[in-house]
Amino acid sequence: MFGFQLKGQRPPKPRRVKEGVVMRFDHVYEIDPDRMSIIKQQEMPVWDTQRIIANRWEHLSWMHNHFADSVISGEELEKEIEESKKKIRTTKKSTSRRKKR
Amino acid sequence: MSSVAISEPVIDELRAIVGPTYVLTSKTARYNRTRVPAPFPVHRWSEFLPDIVVLPETTEQVSEVVKLANRLKIPVVPRAGGTGLADGAVPLRGGILVDIKRMDKILEIDLDNRTVTLQPGINMLKLNEEILKYGVFYPDDPASYPCSLVGGRIGTSGFSLIAGRYGHTRDLVISMQVVLPTGEIIEVGDGGGRKIRKSSTGFHLKHLFMGHQGTLGICTEATLELVPRPEAEFAAFFGYKDFESAYRSTGALTKSGLATLASVVLFDERKIQYLRRDDEAYIPQPRNLKSVIAVSMYGAVDEVKPAGRRLMQIAKDTGGKYLGDEVSQGDWASRHDRYATPLHGRLLDRRVVPMCWHCEDASINYSNIPNVMREWHEIADRYIKKYGIFDDWGCFFYTNAAYKPWGDYLSEIDIGIWEQKLNDKTWKAWVNCKREITEVTLKYNGSITACHGSTREGDAEYVPEEMGGGFEVMKRIKRVLDPNNIMNPGKNMLDNAYEED
Amino acid sequence: MSDDLQQKFVKKWLDNAYGCFSSGHKFCREVCPVMQVTRNENHSPTAFHANIVAMNNNGLTVADVAEDYVNCTLCGACELRCPNTLFTGDFYRNRTETVKVVKAMRALSVKSGVEQPNWKRWVEATIDKKSEPVLDVPIDQDRVADWAKELDLPIGGETILFCDCEAAFYRTSVPKATAMVLKRAGFKFGLMKEQWCCGGPAAEMGYVEQAREFAEHNLSDWRAVGAKRIITLDPHDYITFTEDYPAYFKNGYDMEIVHITELVAELIKEKKLRLKKPVKRVVTYHDPCRLNKRKGIYESPREILRSIPGLTFKDVDHVTQWSYCSGAGGGFAVERPQIAEEISRRRMSRAAELDVDILVSACVWSERPLTARGKELDSKIEVRDLMELVAEAAGLDYGGVKT
Repeated sequence: MFGFQLKGQRPPKPRRVKEGVVMRFDHVYEIDPDRMSIIKQQEMPVWDTQRIIANRWEHLSWMHNHFADSVISGEELEKEIEESKKKIRTTKKSTSRRKKR
Repeated sequence: MSSVAISEPVIDELRAIVGPTYVLTSKTARYNRTRVPAPFPVHRWSEFLPDIVVLPETTEQVSEVVKLANRLKIPVVPRAGGTGLADGAVPLRGGILVDIKRMDKILEIDLDNRTVTLQPGINMLKLNEEILKYGVFYPDDPASYPCSLVGGRIGTSGFSLIAGRYGHTRDLVISMQVVLPTGEIIEVGDGGGRKIRKSSTGFHLKHLFMGHQGTLGICTEATLELVPRPEAEFAAFFGYKDFESAYRSTGALTKSGLATLASVVLFDERKIQYLRRDDEAYIPQPRNLKSVIAVSMYGAVDEVKPAGRRLMQIAKDTGGKYLGDEVSQGDWASRHDRYATPLHGRLLDRRVVPMCWHCEDASINYSNIPNVMREWHEIADRYIKKYGIFDDWGCFFYTNAAYKPWGDYLSEIDIGIWEQKLNDKTWKAWVNCKREITEVTLKYNGSITACHGSTREGDAEYVPEEMGGGFEVMKRIKRVLDPNNIMNPGKNMLDNAYEED
Repeated sequence: MSDDLQQKFVKKWLDNAYGCFSSGHKFCREVCPVMQVTRNENHSPTAFHANIVAMNNNGLTVADVAEDYVNCTLCGACELRCPNTLFTGDFYRNRTETVKVVKAMRALSVKSGVEQPNWKRWVEATIDKKSEPVLDVPIDQDRVADWAKELDLPIGGETILFCDCEAAFYRTSVPKATAMVLKRAGFKFGLMKEQWCCGGPAAEMGYVEQAREFAEHNLSDWRAVGAKRIITLDPHDYITFTEDYPAYFKNGYDMEIVHITELVAELIKEKKLRLKKPVKRVVTYHDPCRLNKRKGIYESPREILRSIPGLTFKDVDHVTQWSYCSGAGGGFAVERPQIAEEISRRRMSRAAELDVDILVSACVWSERPLTARGKELDSKIEVRDLMELVAEAAGLDYGGVKT
């Protein structure tokens, strides 16, 4: 089924992605376990890792809603800037063509 | 340690004032009202215990407790959230700790005049959850937004992350009720009038009772500003090839004159190196990203959108690359509760150890930032190499002025300290490190603290130097208001006020 | 003996304690249901960790600190809200552990002879009767499955429905509705030969060895009837079976544990369960702490509510609800009934602000205190279990709410 099973709770082996950083699940960074020799890592079941990540994103989005009714996207603003520049360029071109005529 | 033992009859008097349930004498009650998040000589914990804790519920109870303390010359230390990054709430002489957390009621919401009057034991996030339904917002937004309390914000004269738009605590508190060190209850504002924002009557006493760190009394009620709940938020993070270009871009962004601009935060190169250790927003960034600026805007959609476009253009023209919505929105949302977590700490061999956080909060002028930053890192590096229990977590520079986000910056070097290794020798080393940092601030005509208060070792000693002739006035005021030096004694070098007679 | 135990305890938890003590930020405080009511810093999760540092450095003993650890519902809000968990817990594989610390301190207290009178009585009664002494009803092991009398459910099989003590003896409409819903969906399940208390409450009150006896009985009963999968209808049982039992039985523990809301949401999605009868009520949902905060289960109950025709669902998001609690968990209400009552009162007044006529919960333990507080309100908000509502929407006559 899809319930909790202890045997499914051990995370996959880590692979190194950068100096000091490993990955066990896609898009989830973890510290190189070698650096955790003084402070020990916990036996963290898969469900707990997933819970923390999901809740982090939910919490961050909650914070946006808490502070304002809407969030404006910088990516959209960038697009708008590009489009308005294109428009200006086109207008300039057409103006100059008209002049030539 | 306490210079005055609290006798059984005094305890009975306190019980009669606040009720027996709300007078605490247990070890855990005292141990847990001692430290704050600032670096703490944990090996000397027992030297900083209060003798007794009271949890009052009303202004009158606070007043009676203070009158009793004044009569018997027992120190009084007020404590709100205990989330300060300096030592305002740490008892230095024992005495009675007045914990105001039970004073957390909202007394009046006045939508016509846009104020809320409340007791100071309430937290800002909780307040905003309550008033959301009215379409208003209390925009005091420190990194401890979900945990610090209004009383502590007043006691420290705190810094708000979005003050470029909305002002800091001192701008958002319209008036307050204060219990003086002799127990009288007064109301202070710009002049009189609990809901009057601007007055020229008499002295501006509100400012005297803002940021005094509990040395001049205890705030028991406050009337706060309510602003329209923002329709729109815009947060953008930009990457730069080096600190120099980010620094220049910061100047351009802050001087843009856009009224919705709430904050500009500059991250230095050491900060980016540090964030690459464990932050999912920075680990995948390309190596040539060396410095970052975060900006935020709040207001009506019609204002924020065009202003946001203008900001994007300024950042681009000054060498900034937009880091995308995911990083910008995710990282900005985390800034409202951004206290360091101990596992950021690294030894020189890169192994992880839990470190507490020193958050320097000097105010530095724009033109001095590069020098101050360089000299601070040099100091930190020397101590890291010599003692092996410190760590440099980089610098942030936050626009500091309310409504006019240019000119000076809350300048923060973050230093990790492995508390488990503290002893007399290493604590002394830390204080010396802190002093050197403070001396750099004063050398460049800065101010020791933009928001935490000058109550830490390594800050407090320099208050007379920074204040100059003003320190003499401070001492006279202290002596007049607090003739027996009962209010949070030992803070801000104010013991000096009693030495001359 | 007690000194040795204390030293061992401090050694085990000291680094974890410093993870909190060296932060000192207390982001936990305003989400803590107990702190919100008492405003007493002794009850804050931060204090629970700082005490351990003080035991190590300053000679505090278990006798000095034990009583403070009563003030916790084990809801888990603090450790999830802690930036050391929420922002960096997954990166370091090291997060703030507070629930475990509170349980371990309670266990240390019991072993050191510092017992809480009401917990002691509660656990003794549970040992005596094999089920918890849920209040106001006679507890008799012969009646543990009385709720199922008319349902003709088999004993044993691959899948077992585990019915919590409060549900078995007090709010019997919850297991009845649940069983009827599963039958309607054609889902095969059976009951245990003899269900004992899951043992979770005893463990939460500090009586670990006693808790383990319950666990051993239940596991061997499951094995004896050929069970491979356990369905829980109470979130507390779900925690016990997915956290305590694995710790007791290690790798030999091979049961699959499924919570009822996850299963029913799936049955609805697969169209095995059809909800056709409109339920014309205005409801909000109470996120049970153990599902929402401790397990991250908050979507399936909402999916179920959204699939009930006719229902007006006024949702309060699960992050806001990190600071909500009914006060019923962690043995807290047994030792501190008045504070627990104030916690549930505040939860119901939140619901009242929404102008709803039902608060739906998915935790049978929350339903009794919330119902009592709902009756006090001018607007008289009713408290229903999610499965009761599902049964109604499936057109099943489960006999109405029965306590």
